[in-house]
Amino acid sequence: MNDSAVENSKGPQGNAVSAAEKTNLFALIWRLPMLVWQSIFFAIPLLFLVYLSFWLVRNYRMEPGFDPVNWIKMFSKDYFWDAYVYTFGLAFLSTVVASLIAFPCAYALSFKVSETARRWAIFFLIIPFFTSYLVRVYSWQIIIAENGVINAMLSYVGLGPFIMLNTAFGSIVGYLTLTLPLVVILQTFSIASIDRNLIEAAHNLGCGRLRTVFTVIVPLAKIGLIIGALFCFILSFGDFVSPYYLGGSKPPTLSILIIDTTKSGQQWPKAAVVAVTMIVTLLVVAFTSVGLAYRKRT
Amino acid sequence: MTQALVEFDTVVKRFGSFTAVKELNLEIHKGEFVAIMGPSGCGKTTTLRMLAGLDQPTDGEIRFSGRRMNDVGPSERDTPLVWQTLALFPFLNVVKNVEFGLKMRGMDAPTRHAKAMDWLQRLEIGEFATRDISQLSGGQRQRVALARALVTEPEILLLDEPLSALDAHLVIRMQGVLTRLQRELGITFVYVTHSQSEAFAMADRVVIMSNGLIEQIGTPQEIYREPSSRFVAEFVGRNNIIEGEVTRTAGGKVTINSPVGSCTAALPSQMKVKKGEPLSFVVSADVISLSNTKPKGENIIACELISEEFIGSVATLFVETASGAELKAQIQQRDLTKLDTSPGARIHLSWPSASVHILPQTSNLQGEMT
Repeated sequence: MNDSAVENSKGPQGNAVSAAEKTNLFALIWRLPMLVWQSIFFAIPLLFLVYLSFWLVRNYRMEPGFDPVNWIKMFSKDYFWDAYVYTFGLAFLSTVVASLIAFPCAYALSFKVSETARRWAIFFLIIPFFTSYLVRVYSWQIIIAENGVINAMLSYVGLGPFIMLNTAFGSIVGYLTLTLPLVVILQTFSIASIDRNLIEAAHNLGCGRLRTVFTVIVPLAKIGLIIGALFCFILSFGDFVSPYYLGGSKPPTLSILIIDTTKSGQQWPKAAVVAVTMIVTLLVVAFTSVGLAYRKRT
Repeated sequence: MTQALVEFDTVVKRFGSFTAVKELNLEIHKGEFVAIMGPSGCGKTTTLRMLAGLDQPTDGEIRFSGRRMNDVGPSERDTPLVWQTLALFPFLNVVKNVEFGLKMRGMDAPTRHAKAMDWLQRLEIGEFATRDISQLSGGQRQRVALARALVTEPEILLLDEPLSALDAHLVIRMQGVLTRLQRELGITFVYVTHSQSEAFAMADRVVIMSNGLIEQIGTPQEIYREPSSRFVAEFVGRNNIIEGEVTRTAGGKVTINSPVGSCTAALPSQMKVKKGEPLSFVVSADVISLSNTKPKGENIIACELISEEFIGSVATLFVETASGAELKAQIQQRDLTKLDTSPGARIHLSWPSASVHILPQTSNLQGEMT
């Protein structure tokens, strides 16, 4: 069998297909749909996006070309960098807040409730995804508006009104609406799979309950915590619904910058510059996080 | 009598409607090597976990040197446990794992590192100090777990089936390591196992548990030769437990009519039996002599050989009497050649009446009750 495989690989005219080649072909067929899908709907558009960023716009008409002018112009504008820093900062803040709120929830779901209760809780955390994110963000408008539900209730006790809509706070509320259930789920899976013996071993070696959380549970759940945070960052960084409807577009985030740029005089190539910058940023963040998550020791 | 290091005073542990431990009374003294042995679910691990404070007694009291420990949390006692799964921290390297307990006690970094290294050297794994746990073999991990537990120099070390995951030859080596450590350090070892060979090889005292109750406490020799109940006799294994009826008592001996035939046994002085009374007795498989021709003496049972089990230097022969009762006998391999051991061969079993152990009569009642 091995001999024939060797002969076939040596002689290109060999008409018998070797077993190894058959397996490869079989595997290839299974992989093919994924490859085709990814190529048509991800790789090719992405390459086109990069190419588009080098096109030119003359008289409100796009002309194919290969000119770095869009990159130079965009990168020399203060408003681009302001938007970049603001978007990054807001997404980072959203990630930190979501992770901090999610951790106690995930901890409780992992250790303090029964298996059945945990399953129900995860089910309820998935339910928000059944409804449109846009609808959920709209309903937040009613709740946090100046004359909205919260301020109406606060006015009864003589407080407020607090301006929450069209602020960074509003954006964060929107981001959390999108990401918090997901972060809780990812953290719960990670914490719940921790070997209980390790936690008891820590107690047994003189490590108190609270200290065990930081010295044992966090390192053991590291992968889930980082992947949860990464998802939160990616979703927040690229989102335009929350900063638009709850953040009031002021200051604009990169996603809003893309919309504005396309609306003003067909500037698709400049919008492509912003989009490519965002993708590169997310790639760097993602690789760094995954690298951190799977690094062997803390 | 000196103050016991550990006292279990009518300790009960219930999990919901399930009672894992029923009225446990046990004293463990300083420097003792105690093995708690029993089948799965007998309550031995729960007992150990209560010692470590990982489970709280539902009822009764656990005392350490006279001090009530019921409400003392696991992290506030010095009762390190060597886990069956070892429970080494995968995110820490070998030496950091060993240092863990010292770090929790607030010892400074250089001192605890030095101490941890000492223990790793002592257990002959110093060279692996900076390795990851995943890079170690089973035996090496075992030593790391031991070092991690012993580094705080506790008065008592708890071990929960620590050798169950190891290969047979490593088990023997680790038994040697454990026994040597225990003698050198003079600390108390409480060792939970289901393995008779581990318990008997290492322990000063063996506690046999079943269904949440202690069946017997004694030296390995006592447990093996004088089981106090049918359960212990069966659990210890390689025993023939024979039930019969007393037909005659005379001169410190009792004659019992049983399915294997009429047998005589030495009657313990404190035991009183009446004619016609039911009585169970144990004939350990290793006190039985075998021959193809009928020997002279007492307790001679003619049998037919059914099969043999041959492990190393000792062989176990399974035989059947004319009435269909099955017996087992152990024989040295070198003696096996003198015997016709073809299946169906006629074999005479015999044993001295002094080697027969009569089970206390109450144990029969207890056996029926549980």
